[in-house]
Amino acid sequence: MIPRTTGLPKDGLPSALHAPLAGALTWWLPGLGHIYLGQRTRGLVLMVTITATFWSGIAIGGVRDTVDPDKRKLWFVAQLCSGGNTVAAYVLNLGVTSYSARTGAPVRPSHWMSADVGVHYTGIAGLLNLLVIFDVVGRVDSGPSHRRAKRPLRPESS
Amino acid sequence: MTTALTDFVLGAIELAPAQRQLLMLPLCLSIAVVYKTMRCDSVREVPLESLVLWGTLVIGMYAVGIGLWVLYSIMV
Repeated sequence: MIPRTTGLPKDGLPSALHAPLAGALTWWLPGLGHIYLGQRTRGLVLMVTITATFWSGIAIGGVRDTVDPDKRKLWFVAQLCSGGNTVAAYVLNLGVTSYSARTGAPVRPSHWMSADVGVHYTGIAGLLNLLVIFDVVGRVDSGPSHRRAKRPLRPESS
Repeated sequence: MTTALTDFVLGAIELAPAQRQLLMLPLCLSIAVVYKTMRCDSVREVPLESLVLWGTLVIGMYAVGIGLWVLYSIMV
């Protein structure tokens, strides 16, 4: 059984906005939505695991060949599910490319085997974050109904 | 510091085929930890449950790989 959140954050927001906000926070930084819902340890474990997986992929394959929307469109879509990490890596990629063009410094391409492993790591990190987004939205959505289901039924008046 | 960061971002690691296969292990561990962190009622259960799932994933993937290799060897 999926454990549910014990309560929504009391931040003055309308309750309908909690699920999209938690999902958006998780998209931006894995685990942040769980921390927002008060599940700090769970959120930190997710954040460290997914972020470490993503940046390990970058370290293995190099940023230029790993986060590349032109050559690897579908993988880039998967990577985009881990939004903040992918945006940071893509900005780095653009920075390296423009620096290389400006100064004429050669940038050695990665070996295809390293680039492939790097792409798999980052893509799977993105897809795992997609699961985490579904999980955090599910926790917000089913919280009240879960509590409702446990409430004893009132006898119907005839 | 700058050189280390540049190496980290630009320098891809040279991999031998066997090393490529070994890199499956941390990836499977990551999948197991994320999955079990979402599914377990208590975070205390996550380490043990993740290890069990990790072992299952690795053994399962090697079993599928060996099975396909045997099938390929028989057919070709």
